[in-house]
Amino acid sequence: MDQPSLASIQRVIWEGNLPLEITLAPSESRTYDQTDPYLISYPRISYLPSLLPRLKAFFASSLIDPAASAPHDGWFSFENVPLKWHYPVGLLYDLYAGADPATKSSDAEYSSSSNDSLPWKLVVHFSDWPNEELVRLDAQGVVMSDAFINSVKEADFVRNGTAKGIMSLSKDDSSGLWKAVQEVDLPSFQRIMNILLPPPSQPFRNLPIRLFLPLPPKPDSTDSDSPSLKVVQSPIPPTITIPLSQTATNMSQSTILSSSRVVSAGTGSPQPQPQPQTIGSALHSILPNLFPSRRTPVLAKPVLHGAALPMSASVEEVVRCSAYGDGWVYIVIRMMG
Amino acid sequence: MAASTLSIFPFLANDEFASACCAFLDRVRAARSSLVNWYSIRLQSAGPVLKISQSFRNDPDLSQHGVSAMATHPLGDYDSQLEVCEEDSEALVRTSDTYDSLQVDYDIVLSATYQVPVLYFVLRQAGKLLGMEDVYRYLVPSQYKKNIQSVGIMGGISFGYHPVSGTPAFFVHPCNTADAMKNIASGREVGPEAYLIIWLGLVGNCLRLQFPGELFATVGIPRLDGTD
Repeated sequence: MDQPSLASIQRVIWEGNLPLEITLAPSESRTYDQTDPYLISYPRISYLPSLLPRLKAFFASSLIDPAASAPHDGWFSFENVPLKWHYPVGLLYDLYAGADPATKSSDAEYSSSSNDSLPWKLVVHFSDWPNEELVRLDAQGVVMSDAFINSVKEADFVRNGTAKGIMSLSKDDSSGLWKAVQEVDLPSFQRIMNILLPPPSQPFRNLPIRLFLPLPPKPDSTDSDSPSLKVVQSPIPPTITIPLSQTATNMSQSTILSSSRVVSAGTGSPQPQPQPQTIGSALHSILPNLFPSRRTPVLAKPVLHGAALPMSASVEEVVRCSAYGDGWVYIVIRMMG
Repeated sequence: MAASTLSIFPFLANDEFASACCAFLDRVRAARSSLVNWYSIRLQSAGPVLKISQSFRNDPDLSQHGVSAMATHPLGDYDSQLEVCEEDSEALVRTSDTYDSLQVDYDIVLSATYQVPVLYFVLRQAGKLLGMEDVYRYLVPSQYKKNIQSVGIMGGISFGYHPVSGTPAFFVHPCNTADAMKNIASGREVGPEAYLIIWLGLVGNCLRLQFPGELFATVGIPRLDGTD
C-alpha cells in the first residue's frame, strides 16, 4: 500500500489555499456596493488580520473617510456574521461556508459543481467594531500574537500536562513560531515545533483536539448571548483500552484501523490491549449521540482542512501532521443528510 | 496527612466542578439575606458556568481609598439587592443602569485544557464594555496590582474569548492555578466545594469578588495558617 508520509501530508496542508473575494462594506464605500472586490488565493492556515494592511491600501480610495481608520480597525464578516480573527481562515471556511468536504470519491467532481461557495465572499469593515463579539486588535499586532501564543501554550499543556515546553522556548523561537505561521514558512515552523513536540517514541499525555459544532439558531431567542456554535474539548488520551468483551469484535475489524501497531503480539493475553485512539473512537467518546459508531459516520462527519477525516485515522498521527499552526486540530462536525 | 478526596488534585474534574458549583449555590441560598450582598448568582447548566454579577457605585475615591474602605466595609458600597436563582433563563435584570454605576459579570468556568477553574469577567458602565485600564482602576485592589501585573501567582489578566459564550471577556490566566492550589491545600482533606472556595479566595479577592467569611463558617475549609 502506498501510504503518504506524515511529512508529505503536512506539506500539502501548508500548501492548501482558499480563494477569497473580499468586498468593502457598502456603508463605508463612496460607491456603495460598486467597489471592486479584492481577490486573493490565501493559505488556509493563515489568519485574516494579516490581510488588513493590504486591504486598507487597496480600499483607501473607495473609503468615504480613509483617514478615520487604521488597518487594525478592520474586521471581517460572512453573511453578516463577524468572523473570529483568532481562528485560521480554513477553519472559518469549513465552519461557515457550508461547502461539502472533499472525499476520495468526490475527487472527480471536486473542481466543478460542488464549489458554489468558492471564491469565499467576505466583507471587510473598517468602522463599527463589534465589541460584543470580537476582541479588538492593536496597531503593533501584539493582541494577535498573544492570542496565538496562548493557544500554542494550551496545546502544549494538553500534550505534556505542563506548559514547561513553551516556557522553555527562547523568546526568538516563540516569536519565530508566530512569524513562521504568518509567512507560511514550513521549515522554520518544523524546526521550532520539533522542540515542543515529544519525539514519536514518546506518547502524548492527551491530544489537542477541539470540535466545532454548529448550533441551530434558537427561534424564540433574541438573546445575543446565545452562541451560534459550540466548541467541545475534553481530555483525549493517545491510546484507549477496549474492554475484553469487545476485544474479539475489534480484532476482526482491525483491518480498518490504519496503523499496523494496533493489535500486535499477545492476543491470547488476558490483558486488554491498548489501542491507538482513532478519530472515530475519540468522536464516539466525546459525542456518543452524534457518533454512535466508532467506524462509520452515521449522523455527522468530521471535517478538517476542507476534507472528510477518515474515522480510522490515528488521532496522534493527525495531530502530528495536520494540526494548525498553534498545534491544535480543529475538527468541524458537519451534519449529514 | 489526609489524602485529598479529589480525583486529580491539584486539578479539578468536570463532575467535581459541577458539584462544587451546586454546593456553593446551595450555601449562598441558605445564607441569603443575612450574609450575602451580591447582586445575583446562578448556575448555567451549559458549561457549566457559575455566573455572579454585582454592581457598585463608581466611587471616584476608590482608586485612592478604595482598598482600606473595602477592608473595613467590604460590601458597604454594594447594591444590597440580592437575587439567587438557578437556571434562570431570563437575562439579568439590571436595576441600576445609571451612569455612575459599574456592573461586573463574573463567569467561573472549568478550563478544559488546564482543568482548573478560570475566572472570566466583563466590566460595564451604562451597558458599555470597559477596557483593561478601567479593570485595573476599579476592580484590582492596589495590594494585588503589582502581583497581577507581573504575572505572578495569578498569571495576569488577559482579554480573550469566553470558552462557552464565545464573546470577548477578560480572564485571569490559569496556568499557575494548579501549583497555587497545591501549595495551599496539599496534604489536607479538600472536597470539591472547599477547592472552589479556596480558589475563590485566591483569585476572587484580586478582582473585588469577595465573600463574607461567615458564609464559610461551616464549610470546614482548612485554615491557611495550618492551625486547623
